[in-house]
Amino acid sequence: MTLPMDDSPQIVIDRVTHLYRPPRGREVIALEDISLEVRRREFVALLGPSGCGKSTLLYLIGGFLPTETGAIRVDGEQVAGPGPDRGIVFQHFALFPWKTVRQNVLYGLEKLRLGREERSRRAQALIDLVGLRDFAESYPAQLSGGMKQRTAIARTLAIDPQILLMDEPFGALDAQTRRLMQAELLGIWQRSPKTVIFVTHDVHEAVYLAERVVVLSARPGQVKAIVDTGLDRSDPGLFRSRPFIDKVDQIWALVRDEALKAQAGHAP
Amino acid sequence: MKGPRDAWAMAGWATLPVLALAWEGVARSGLVRPFLLPPLTAVLERVWTDAAAGDLWRDLASTLYRALVGFALAASIGTVLGILIARDRIARWFFDPLISIGFPMPKIAFMPVIALWLGYFDTSKIVIVAFDAVFPVIVATAAGASNVERELIWSARNLGAGTRRVLWEVVLPAALPQIVTGLQVSLPVALIVAIITEMMMGGTGLGAAMTRASRFADSPGVFAGILEIALVGLILVKGMALVRRRLLLWHPETLAEATVA
Amino acid sequence: MKLAVRYVPLLLLALAWEAAARLELSDALPAPSAVLVAWARLARDGELVANGLPSLYRAGTGLILAIALGSVLGVVMAWWRPLHALMSPLLELSYPVPKSALVPLTAFWLGFGNASKVLAIFLGGTLPVVLGAFNGARSSDRALVWSARSMGASRVRTLWDVVVPCALPELLAGIRIALALSFVLLLTTELYAAQSGLGYLISFLGDEGAYDAMFAAVLTVAFLGFVADRLFLRLTRRLLRWRE
Repeated sequence: MTLPMDDSPQIVIDRVTHLYRPPRGREVIALEDISLEVRRREFVALLGPSGCGKSTLLYLIGGFLPTETGAIRVDGEQVAGPGPDRGIVFQHFALFPWKTVRQNVLYGLEKLRLGREERSRRAQALIDLVGLRDFAESYPAQLSGGMKQRTAIARTLAIDPQILLMDEPFGALDAQTRRLMQAELLGIWQRSPKTVIFVTHDVHEAVYLAERVVVLSARPGQVKAIVDTGLDRSDPGLFRSRPFIDKVDQIWALVRDEALKAQAGHAP
Repeated sequence: MKGPRDAWAMAGWATLPVLALAWEGVARSGLVRPFLLPPLTAVLERVWTDAAAGDLWRDLASTLYRALVGFALAASIGTVLGILIARDRIARWFFDPLISIGFPMPKIAFMPVIALWLGYFDTSKIVIVAFDAVFPVIVATAAGASNVERELIWSARNLGAGTRRVLWEVVLPAALPQIVTGLQVSLPVALIVAIITEMMMGGTGLGAAMTRASRFADSPGVFAGILEIALVGLILVKGMALVRRRLLLWHPETLAEATVA
Repeated sequence: MKLAVRYVPLLLLALAWEAAARLELSDALPAPSAVLVAWARLARDGELVANGLPSLYRAGTGLILAIALGSVLGVVMAWWRPLHALMSPLLELSYPVPKSALVPLTAFWLGFGNASKVLAIFLGGTLPVVLGAFNGARSSDRALVWSARSMGASRVRTLWDVVVPCALPELLAGIRIALALSFVLLLTTELYAAQSGLGYLISFLGDEGAYDAMFAAVLTVAFLGFVADRLFLRLTRRLLRWRE
């Protein structure tokens, strides 16, 4: 399939509604009539309070959940299920605990018709890329949170997806590791650009990483605002710079109302 | 690590030789008729002579054969059924009542029926063993297979695995800790049931030998049987624990042991 | 209604069984219909009750003794270190002994009457109850115990008011296992050598060639085991209502 040469968006979310049907109790409208477009190789953040459906939207793009109404199209084709063109990284790593780091990374490569040498070369390259060369034979239970997430990222990158779906990937890490991983992710993205959709509830993180920040409303999720960040990320003092702080304030103002609404509306 | 606590613990282990001596002493003292409680030395001697004569090994082999073959059957059928029940709605609908009724039933009640159908030799014994031993495996496997983290399955599918690969490569390994627990419960059950069948149906085997000894009022023989059976049980349980460590090399529980040691 | 739907697979199995039996594949496969008839006959003749009572007596006595001794022993072991240290190697040793191995032993000691059967059931059931009581008592929240003590409760009072309720869930789980074991041991002893009882009835009918009646007896015992377990679960839920 040839890549379209025009400027058409890569991902089109077209008036999608998703219902959450719990095993007991009434169904809940997670996302209602939501529409969004994502351009090729763009870094987009999905930001919103808990329960706003941002992760759900990600899973819909990934093809793990079905839409109730509306459609999601990637490169013109409707999403029908999971696929290697949309790689996903989860908050809690989802590593296969019975496989070593190397075996985890190799997993996605098995499906591809490559020779064994090519597969292990690629796996090694990725393991080196995420800085886990010395831990390639370790099991996940022996790794720290940051190392696990790097393994997960390496594993997903192994299938060379065009789109990277990241579900609060640094949420389970401590603050210091989180900062390091954010910088590393940006580095990886700048070197081999992909479309990235990054779900988070952390405004700083969203502004730092993304070119565009999509703010979602409280449940039922809809697009409340889309803000271009327009920042110079090569500036080492970015976090302290005026434009950065202003942008964070601007977006936080949008999110705050929704966060309060979400808190009020949530029965424990 | 000294102190009164550990003095008691050590005293605990001292009870074993003390008990052994007490057994010997009481038996020889004439307090109890030697018929009811033969001296420990006589029992151990009997175990020795049985071993030397080859009887012990023959009976041991028979019992182990039935118990282990029945266990293997239960393990394979139970694992497959358990995964099926966990992942397939129709299978679950069909088997759920069978299992929830079968589990608490004294399945040994069916022994006369199975003996009727399959005779009094190894086949029927193995079938009865498998029938009893399969339930803990099914229940544990179903529990493990139905609790697999959603994100693990999604990751596998994302990386290109189809339904069959997901089942084989993700669900099964993820459920393995619980499956092994089920197997650890099932193995002693297999041994117990094998012995019961031997007691009822005669022939070779440790249970049958014990029954014969009981019927012929051969008291050292009865006690020797208990010791032998207890030893086999102990070895099987310890063996299974080792198998668990080997199979679950990657599991936090195994790795924690290694770091502590 | 939902309950009925849940057990439909059993109905399907019964129908399949009926069909298979009608094919007259073997003398030894009576049809469910024949089994039901035989069961009615057994009930009417009083055979079920006449044999059920001795079985109930043996299992009941053995089980009650096991529960009484086992719970006390387990709780005291958890509460009083010396006893624990003394008893625990003994318990660990008896763990891998298949309880069924006790059957020829008790028969050997006490003959083929009630006493040997009660003893076997008692010995078999004690271990799970002790373990349940022990683990349960050990898990009692230290904070609760200390609160009680600081409010002036004596050691014994604390035991009764705090430790026992905390121990209850695991103790009940242990008793449930002992209950299932008591059925198994009861059947084993009665199939082994007996002159009365449900196990005896089964083997007697089998020897007589009355296979439909034998099936009826087997299913009766199996069903009783199932019912006993369910009733016990009900009781457990009742007793542990405060946990919810």
